[in-house]
Amino acid sequence: MSLRPWRVALLHVCVVVMIGVLTFPLILLGFNSLKSEVEIFDAPLGIPKAPTLANFRSVMLGTTFSVNMRNSFIVAVSTVLLAVVVTAPAGYAMSRFRFRGRTLFSMWLLATQSFPGIIMVLGLFTVLTVYGLVDRLPGLIMMHTSFSMPFSIWLLKGYFDKIPVELEEAARIDGCSRLGSLVRVVFPLSVPGLLAVATFSLLLSWNEFFFALVVMRSNVNYTLPVYLARFVGSGGVVQWGPLSAAALLATLPVLLLFLLGQRYLVSGLTGGAIK
Amino acid sequence: MRSSSTISRWPGGEGRRALPFLLPALVVLCMVSLYPLVQGVSRVFYSYRALARQDVFSGWENFTLLLSDPTFSTAFLNSIVWTATSVAGMFLFGYALATMLNSKHLRFRRFFRTASLVPWALPGVVISLIWRYIFLPNGPLNAVLGSLGLRGPEWLTNPSLALWTCVIATVWMGTPFVTVMLLAGLQSLEPELLEAAAIDGASYIQSQVHVIMPSMRKMILIVFTLETIWTFNSFDIVFVLTKGGPGSASMTLPLYAYQNAFMYYQAGYGAAIGVVILSVLLLAVVFYIREVLR
Repeated sequence: MSLRPWRVALLHVCVVVMIGVLTFPLILLGFNSLKSEVEIFDAPLGIPKAPTLANFRSVMLGTTFSVNMRNSFIVAVSTVLLAVVVTAPAGYAMSRFRFRGRTLFSMWLLATQSFPGIIMVLGLFTVLTVYGLVDRLPGLIMMHTSFSMPFSIWLLKGYFDKIPVELEEAARIDGCSRLGSLVRVVFPLSVPGLLAVATFSLLLSWNEFFFALVVMRSNVNYTLPVYLARFVGSGGVVQWGPLSAAALLATLPVLLLFLLGQRYLVSGLTGGAIK
Repeated sequence: MRSSSTISRWPGGEGRRALPFLLPALVVLCMVSLYPLVQGVSRVFYSYRALARQDVFSGWENFTLLLSDPTFSTAFLNSIVWTATSVAGMFLFGYALATMLNSKHLRFRRFFRTASLVPWALPGVVISLIWRYIFLPNGPLNAVLGSLGLRGPEWLTNPSLALWTCVIATVWMGTPFVTVMLLAGLQSLEPELLEAAAIDGASYIQSQVHVIMPSMRKMILIVFTLETIWTFNSFDIVFVLTKGGPGSASMTLPLYAYQNAFMYYQAGYGAAIGVVILSVLLLAVVFYIREVLR
């Protein structure tokens, strides 16, 4: 089946335009981070004429950015580790065992997707107050872990379903203990699934705004999204140069990790979680 | 099927063997999901009283107040319009892009597929900030319109446009997920199916409607339901882009609930709005669960 040349050309034009629309706002952010405040509005679409790192310097030295970056890093990494440790065994149990309440548990996991943030945050506030975790990172880590769990368990269940039980049995016949067959056979085979869960949890935690906004009260405890939303330059007006620099720094590390991990996430989603 | 395997034939109930694996997840879910849900919903029966300086039991008062609150009706209507148009937009662009990215005539496919994912990885707050800049009266969008000889409107402060700016940003944010899911669906189609349709003389549109859509039905429904839930619940874009303004022109339910609970100290009223959101979404969820567990 071949297309006429003009249709192939049209296809490429359409794709370039759509990908352009999807990526240009980020490029714009990069441009603005290198421009002076005057140039940002004099030539809103142009390539920086006199690129400067002044915006980055003022963000790094003049604001709490580095502290907030560290907070985001601690919360995201802890969330990823916790999510993997908690959801891997749960996903395994969902795939291998037929126990009472299994369907109910699946339904609960799926239903949590729809719980409104406002209800959850009001309830969580009570929990966090009891344990003295308001305005502290562990509280946020716990919340982010729980948000990533339903999807992650579901995704891993799909992954474990595809690993034949016979492999475990063979390992056991060869003298592996039950735990041994898990660690030596099942775990290595499920690494792509675990990477999918890690990518998903990283993105969720790093980008999460609403709960961090409500629970974190002091500047030095903000994660990056809250820092960015509360960003106001000197004089009470938003300074787009420094704000763009901060937003770019808050975006790039996870964007790069995401582009590395996306194929695991996508195949995990399409292979188990969604289909 | 697995009942014949050695693993399942081990003595003892399966529940007892599953429990150690599930325990950590169950503990976290009870603490951070089940209990907060019950606790949060129970707040709707309490109202803050300035005189008593605390929340006191008020029965159904929060719900009766909702019924006569014009901002609530605006927010409710806005939420419906916003979710419906945003999800429609995501599917329109997502389906078009997925179809094109699936074409074997396209060069640099891998590059384009990866590039199309970019908005998915950006924090909602960053997305909203970029679009706020794009929509500024003296920002890039109006600069483009100006160079075409058009006078761009005040996108964010015009009451009849503010909600639509939020829709545009939301569509931009949600399109990659829809694209990548539909693309995966298209890739799993049997090529013979389409060839057979072509041989039978099906037009392009006919094969889309009668061959592609039905075989991807389940995935389309699940992605559609998920995006509906996520959009209806989402907060970041409206909060950063317009703060619900001007007035309450672009107010949505999650933002109004937040304002009541954390700016006006009416946690019960905020929770009541949350219960309204939950009841709308429960309809979607029942549908979603039925499709997934089928």
